[in-house]
Amino acid sequence: MCEHDQCTSHAGQKPDMRPVYPKAGSYPHFAKLVDTQKAQVDRKVFHDQEIYEAELRQIFGRAWLFLAHESQIPEPGDFLRTYMGEDNVIVVRQRDRSVNAFLNSCPHRGNRVCMVDAGKKARGFICNYHGWSFGIDGGLRGTDGKVYDSDATFDKGSIGLTPVAQIASYKGLIFATFDPDAPSLEEFLGDFTWYLDVMLDNDEGGTEFIGGAIKSVIDCNWKFPAENFVGDILHAFWTHQSGAQAILGGGVDLGARYDELAFQASVYGHGIETNLDKVGNTRTLGYPELVDYVFSRQKAMADRLGEVRARMVGAVSSATVFPNFSFLPGQATFRVWHPRGPDKIELVVWTLVNKNMPEHIKELYRKGVMMTFSPAGVFEMDDGENWEYSTRVNQGFVTRQQPLHYALGVGTRDDSRDLPGIIHKGSLNDANQRLFYTRWAEFMRFDNWHDLQNGETAPPQRMAQRQAAE
Amino acid sequence: MMADALDMVRICDLSEIGEEILKVSLEGHKPLGVTCLDGIYYVFPDTCPHANESLSKGWIEDGRVVCPVHFAEFELGNGAVHNGPSGCARLTFYECEARIDGLYARLTS
Repeated sequence: MCEHDQCTSHAGQKPDMRPVYPKAGSYPHFAKLVDTQKAQVDRKVFHDQEIYEAELRQIFGRAWLFLAHESQIPEPGDFLRTYMGEDNVIVVRQRDRSVNAFLNSCPHRGNRVCMVDAGKKARGFICNYHGWSFGIDGGLRGTDGKVYDSDATFDKGSIGLTPVAQIASYKGLIFATFDPDAPSLEEFLGDFTWYLDVMLDNDEGGTEFIGGAIKSVIDCNWKFPAENFVGDILHAFWTHQSGAQAILGGGVDLGARYDELAFQASVYGHGIETNLDKVGNTRTLGYPELVDYVFSRQKAMADRLGEVRARMVGAVSSATVFPNFSFLPGQATFRVWHPRGPDKIELVVWTLVNKNMPEHIKELYRKGVMMTFSPAGVFEMDDGENWEYSTRVNQGFVTRQQPLHYALGVGTRDDSRDLPGIIHKGSLNDANQRLFYTRWAEFMRFDNWHDLQNGETAPPQRMAQRQAAE
Repeated sequence: MMADALDMVRICDLSEIGEEILKVSLEGHKPLGVTCLDGIYYVFPDTCPHANESLSKGWIEDGRVVCPVHFAEFELGNGAVHNGPSGCARLTFYECEARIDGLYARLTS
């Protein structure tokens, strides 16, 4: 009945209520659906139910997944409800000010113990079904209080909400994993932290999320938006051209020094494309004052991050942290594409600002994100329809046999630039998307973290070390 | 007056009582909860009127005793219940008196 070694389940014995963290398997036949030689991805990965179940086990059951920003739950008892894959979790600040996260499911009959999206100063979480009550530390405090108290075999201390296996923060962003064997968050992110710092560390005061979350549902496979943000600026010139003209009075512009400056960087499937044009993304929010603000901070940001990254803060750029956490530098929108089956996502969007920004600047970012990258936003609507049809067409049996083309920029690898990660020249490139799917294939193929962290998507110095060792 | 005073039971030393809820077990009586807020002492049953949980494992917040299990709140002094589970009764508060040699209370009913 349960997977614990010692559990023999004799009558009268106390049930073993320890958390169960699933073990990964290996799905080489799914991994082969990503053909790196031909730069093709089999459409099966966008509609097949078995593959989706394997994703929940191999990827969402193991990877570090974004939960919340520290600023959303500042005080003990402050909490929010989110998802890791399809698993509903409660993220809650503890009395010692650390953060923990628990499955939102009562260990008695499984009902949710928290129904609201977020709240302040929670004392605990009580299940609606039989009154089982859990502290913010997840421990069972009591039940209905009448029957179990007289049951000598009832071991309250051994029962609680299931905690995530590991939880950690990187510069304000809280992540967790269900895999006790996963490497540290920083090891999982690898050199990609260098790029995360563009948004998370361009000011000494740190960052915060403002204005709550905007949620929506899009009928698409979760990988379409994730791959779009990991490295597809190409679509902007067609998909977003009319929106850009309406807001900017002109088309999307990657800057005069594109050939010299633009690049894509990828580490363990996380990726960013950028044009180093200083303000291209910020411009699309439609407020000249924001553009002036970003320009005014160039020197301070360069002192802190160096010239290259200072140019990235407001630039035309997009990024994904594998598997499903994405953001747009410049536009300041951060989001998670929660999977809801192979053909649906729940999208949750926040606005990230520096705590030290003037209030009216923060407000302009909040409004700008709302008007561009929300369900009613100019650019979000453009994207959503594309991803829905990219997904839905695969209901066609013949359609889904057809190959997809991921070959833009084959042969553009650039090892000459002193930048972390696997670098490709030019942001108009499928390179990061190829590496995103290569990472996806690694998660399908490998059942252990040693292989996962030393494969094709590992940063170059890591690969060099591996080759030297062999 | 004299007879009333004699009926009072010595609960504990005053020095033992703080702003947390102190649990006191006396021979022949059910366990008690004791606390002090703004110089006023309070004595009440330790067992929550809703079920069997120990209120001394809870805490005082905004002038109310908070049950640690289902978070029912009872006003200090009159015992009125707020946010309690369905059917949760008021909390009884016993008349009590601080004397030189300790806290005394009349443990009626």
